[in-house]
Amino acid sequence: MSLSLGQKLRLRAMVYVAGEAIPNFWPMRSFIHHNPLHGLEHLTFTEAVRKAQPLFHAQVYLSRKQHQAYLSRNLVDMDFLEHAVADFVAQQPLLPDIDLQAWLMSLLKSEEHNVVADTTLSNAADVQAVLAGKPLDPKTPEALKTIIVEQLRNDLLNNCPLYEAIDALYGTEIGDELDQLVIKSSLDFFDEGQSVWSMPGREKGFFPAWCAVAQRNGRLFLRGLDIDQVIQQGDTPEDVIAYVMDKFGVPEQHWVCYFTCELARLHGWTGFIKWRSGASHYHWRKQFPGDLVDLLAIRLILALALVEERGRWKKVSANFASIQALIDASPEETYFQLQLHGRKVLPEFAFSVEKLLATGRTKAINKAFGEYAQQVRLHEARQQAANLVQLAGNVSALSALRALPDEALGQLIQSLQAFEQEEGHIWLRAMESQAMKRLLAGVTLEQPAPREKRPFVQALFCIDTRSERIRRRLESIGDYQTFGIAGFFGVPLSFMELGKGNESHLCPVLLTPKNLVVEMAVSDDQDVAALTVLEKALHELKESILTPFVTVEAVGLLFGFDMVGKTLFPEHYNRWRNRLHQDKPQTFLIMDKLSSEQADSIVRAVQRAVIEKALELEFELPAERITDSMVRELREAALGHQPDIPVLAKEIGLSATGQQDFIQKLRTIYRINAAKAQLQREQLGRIGFSIDEQVTFVSQALQSIGLTREFSRFIMLVGHGSTSENNPYESALDCGACGGQHGIVNARVLAQMANKPEVRRRLRQQGIDIPDDAWFFPALHNTTTDEIRLYDVERMPSTHAMYIDRLRNGLLSAARLCARERIATLEPRHIINRPHENPAAAQRLARKFAQDWSQVRPEWGLAGNAYFIIGRRPLTQQLSLEGRAFLHSYDYRVDRKLRLLENILTGPLVVGQWINMEHYFSTVDNERFGSGSKVYHNVAGRFGVMTGNLSDLRTGLPAQTVLDNGQPYHQPLRLITVIEAPLQSARRAVESVAAAKKLVVNEWIRLIVIDPEQSSVSLYDKGQWQDHVYSLQYESQEATANL
Amino acid sequence: MDSLLYPLAGLFLPLFPLSMLFNTLFARTRQYLVRTLLLLVWPQLGLALLSLLTAPVDIQWLSALALFTSALYAYRAIAARELNQWSGYLSTSLWALLWLFVIHTGKPTPTLHLHALGFSLPLVLLTILGRNVEKQFGAVYTDLYGGLAQSMPRLSGALILTVLAVIATPLFPAFFSMTQLVFAELSVSLSSALLLLIIWLFWSWSGIRLLQGLVIGSAAGVTLSRDIRDISVPVAWGYALLLITLSTGSLLIMEIAQ
Repeated sequence: MSLSLGQKLRLRAMVYVAGEAIPNFWPMRSFIHHNPLHGLEHLTFTEAVRKAQPLFHAQVYLSRKQHQAYLSRNLVDMDFLEHAVADFVAQQPLLPDIDLQAWLMSLLKSEEHNVVADTTLSNAADVQAVLAGKPLDPKTPEALKTIIVEQLRNDLLNNCPLYEAIDALYGTEIGDELDQLVIKSSLDFFDEGQSVWSMPGREKGFFPAWCAVAQRNGRLFLRGLDIDQVIQQGDTPEDVIAYVMDKFGVPEQHWVCYFTCELARLHGWTGFIKWRSGASHYHWRKQFPGDLVDLLAIRLILALALVEERGRWKKVSANFASIQALIDASPEETYFQLQLHGRKVLPEFAFSVEKLLATGRTKAINKAFGEYAQQVRLHEARQQAANLVQLAGNVSALSALRALPDEALGQLIQSLQAFEQEEGHIWLRAMESQAMKRLLAGVTLEQPAPREKRPFVQALFCIDTRSERIRRRLESIGDYQTFGIAGFFGVPLSFMELGKGNESHLCPVLLTPKNLVVEMAVSDDQDVAALTVLEKALHELKESILTPFVTVEAVGLLFGFDMVGKTLFPEHYNRWRNRLHQDKPQTFLIMDKLSSEQADSIVRAVQRAVIEKALELEFELPAERITDSMVRELREAALGHQPDIPVLAKEIGLSATGQQDFIQKLRTIYRINAAKAQLQREQLGRIGFSIDEQVTFVSQALQSIGLTREFSRFIMLVGHGSTSENNPYESALDCGACGGQHGIVNARVLAQMANKPEVRRRLRQQGIDIPDDAWFFPALHNTTTDEIRLYDVERMPSTHAMYIDRLRNGLLSAARLCARERIATLEPRHIINRPHENPAAAQRLARKFAQDWSQVRPEWGLAGNAYFIIGRRPLTQQLSLEGRAFLHSYDYRVDRKLRLLENILTGPLVVGQWINMEHYFSTVDNERFGSGSKVYHNVAGRFGVMTGNLSDLRTGLPAQTVLDNGQPYHQPLRLITVIEAPLQSARRAVESVAAAKKLVVNEWIRLIVIDPEQSSVSLYDKGQWQDHVYSLQYESQEATANL
Repeated sequence: MDSLLYPLAGLFLPLFPLSMLFNTLFARTRQYLVRTLLLLVWPQLGLALLSLLTAPVDIQWLSALALFTSALYAYRAIAARELNQWSGYLSTSLWALLWLFVIHTGKPTPTLHLHALGFSLPLVLLTILGRNVEKQFGAVYTDLYGGLAQSMPRLSGALILTVLAVIATPLFPAFFSMTQLVFAELSVSLSSALLLLIIWLFWSWSGIRLLQGLVIGSAAGVTLSRDIRDISVPVAWGYALLLITLSTGSLLIMEIAQ
């Protein structure tokens, strides 16, 4: 089969659309929190979760039992729950003597399991017969047959992949085997250096490379999979896809749905390949291209081969038409097969059904069907009746239940079923309502009295929820004023770290940085410490395929020492080990734009160095014989400015041909040519920021948080990062706004910019008058240990140095208090058993967590996040938000044009919502949306993790991040966003930012506007602004200073 | 007399095709107490019948038939999804091997009765455990109601250890019996010893398949729809103690036998 270009493009478009529902998955090195249902954000939250549930085979709300646990902890708004149930009841028909409100409230509060059982053959009349203790009305086998034919068509022909239907009918397990083969193929191709022996031909692309290997794959041949035959049906992946779909008998109008189901089976791999194919800057993508069309083609080739292989052995239908024919010809046998292999059979009949099917006698099967179907009816009716009796007993309505006529009973069951389908959302809204009430009970609109003197330190922290605790503690111990700003401080940059040749993007993934910052060492090159060299050698040995055979005795012992030290004495051993390591030398950042003269000068210097090296390598000329004039003429000749090189020719007696050869070598091998020089100039042009850019970034950062006057002597820019051992998820604990890396570089860059006199002069022209004695300096908040380390202290003016001790003491105290608060959530037993222990002990324990390689939960990270507060600090300063709030400072009074608010809604809020949804879905279904237990994780291809040695890429958060002993630690709520601004302004800002508007209107976030001028609270709910749902004067018995 | 005793013994120490009778009987028996009794008494009756023989057992084709029967039922057990069926196949496969002991010694010894008991006791425990699962779900059938490890963790633990005891993993009685038998066969026929090892492998394969279908996997669907009651902690300890006793007892018997 060979498709035309138009058909190929059409098919590509179909695959693209099919993949839309699958979220991107970024490599683990820079973990990006994302909404697992990002592809469905164009729908409302309720519609999206309804669609996602069958697609990902996942739970989308917590279970009733878990909600009941929250109810018992007073984290559910009971009033809201009752109102929501009443609203639901109002839409249901009235039933005689049935107080549906009481039934549903009882269901919510007392029942652990679903009351309405899955029914296939029974109906309300059957349930009523059971309730009345009468036998069921007989149904003819023909009537039952009609019902099952319809069900079989729904179950087997409803756009599920063909092999899923075959597996359900014959228990063939093709789907599992197919997934395994696809995972192995993907691991081979997408490996990023973990394998010593890589797949051949990867540069040709995923599909061609895989085909070349698969055609020679002995294991596939031995398994009886005729891959060759399928591959030969087309030259391109599109041809193969069309061929297989045709073979399966899927009509073209159903292809997109079919592709989505195929891609969703391994949504982790699909998400990674989808992201990778769109990441044009990604090194591995450029080297080894591959996309979803390739993936789908490989899946379908293997699927067809497996289906045909099973067909040969088990006489299995190989397309949908055969399955349709099977249903029509022998529905009873097909029903039994689906019951047995689809795990639906009544357990007490399983063995008999198995034996019956093994006989293959149609007559016996048809005869047994009638009896079995009656048993299924009876079983379903009994189960339903028992559930209803239990619920009715709770509300003392047993007699009313028994007195219900058929139709009313059916209606009651329908109402209960409809309620159970909506129940998750009602619970969710009730929990959110409670969370909103508790927050609003603690906020204050009163602004503090004007300060008599400026604060000792003004500290800018990331909006990250973990900053809330340390900010609160810092404010409580001294004259510190804190602000919240996105952790990249509004400066998107690409960073080239000292000793590394690659760039990393230090900004949210939504942005692509234009400016490059280069780190340089202040001191001379140092010798590499012996231990560092030894470690590198051991690491290389560990990765070699031969090592286990030749060096295990010698090297194994060294690893053994390391293992004992790290396991038994993590704190002391790591301290000792770190001493042996070479410290990173002191560095500075090149962040000013180079002038064209400077750029030319650097290019010339590089060219000179290369030419000197070339002379040394080609002619073994020692340095003392290489003169400036010789180098200059060589450079000019290579750039085509002069024809020959007389000085060198004279020095070494080079012939005319030799001269031209060497010039040519300089141009091609050593790349001294005009094009390369131009490229180097362009690259140099990316380094640093112009003064205008610096002024803009500093101005934006300060204005966005409302810090435009009353500057302190110290303005501390605090980035954050984490420390943990043996943790593939380490970057998930770092700063999301910095692309999943530490935030210190951005802090250093902004501090350098803000301290520049020229920048301050221009800022002054904009009305931001930073006094001369105000000094910006960077610091790093280690969120695992709570320590705050100051950077670039040596640059600080001597006038400020005398305050450093006071500052350090303040930071230490805050860090310890913060650690004590946090450790109580990580190790409650530790606190309970040792109440006398002081904050210093808590911090020691936190340090131990950071160094212990067996620690699966070094910190809770962003678990617990629930609020995003955009406003002035005094709004929530009196409130302990328990590390659950993103705090973005914002002063509406300095934002007349609403640009600052729009910026916050565009970037930080969207990222906050991704984080929130990642936590939400990882909590409600950790196996499907999260990544399961860390204990079983293995790093895959250096870009992801798998559970065990072969699984889908685990995309979400591990169980240890969101669950505590299997129960939610993170309370899954949609992000409750609070904007402190006049309502009309906030509405205008939301309306003008499409991304934010979509999230609000589709209820992916809950938006509250606190209008400080009207002292009113408005909630966006059910498509409109509601002013009277909550008020700041909400009188709650639980209203306390803590949430 | 001996010509009558041999077929009878072939019924109780099941040899194909007489083995079909025991398996039919075992499958049709719904009462677990009767099943327990069958598992305990059936092979002992066979051994008792053999001890009535006037001449020592020295028929080589019996050895081949015993190995064939054992291999056949071990192989069939791999595909079995129902616990009682699996137990029936395994017991047939295990007991058929008692013939090899008898052929080596000529007559059943008192130790051989203990070997038979060592084969039977784990099967009895398995039947009792199976009854617990049957009461909850209606049948003990693989891949039907999610992983028992999540819904009934204590029972699952006991089930795993008991299945391991049945399939002759180290420190359980059947392991020592099999070790002894393999070494004894090795001195007579390498191919028989190899076949024994293959049978052993089939047991393990079938046991793991059984456990995988019963114990492993998510039980979310099950726990959402009904109340599942696990065995109590004292009962779980009781099972553990029984298994430890079995293991220790077999070690002592091996010591005494040597």
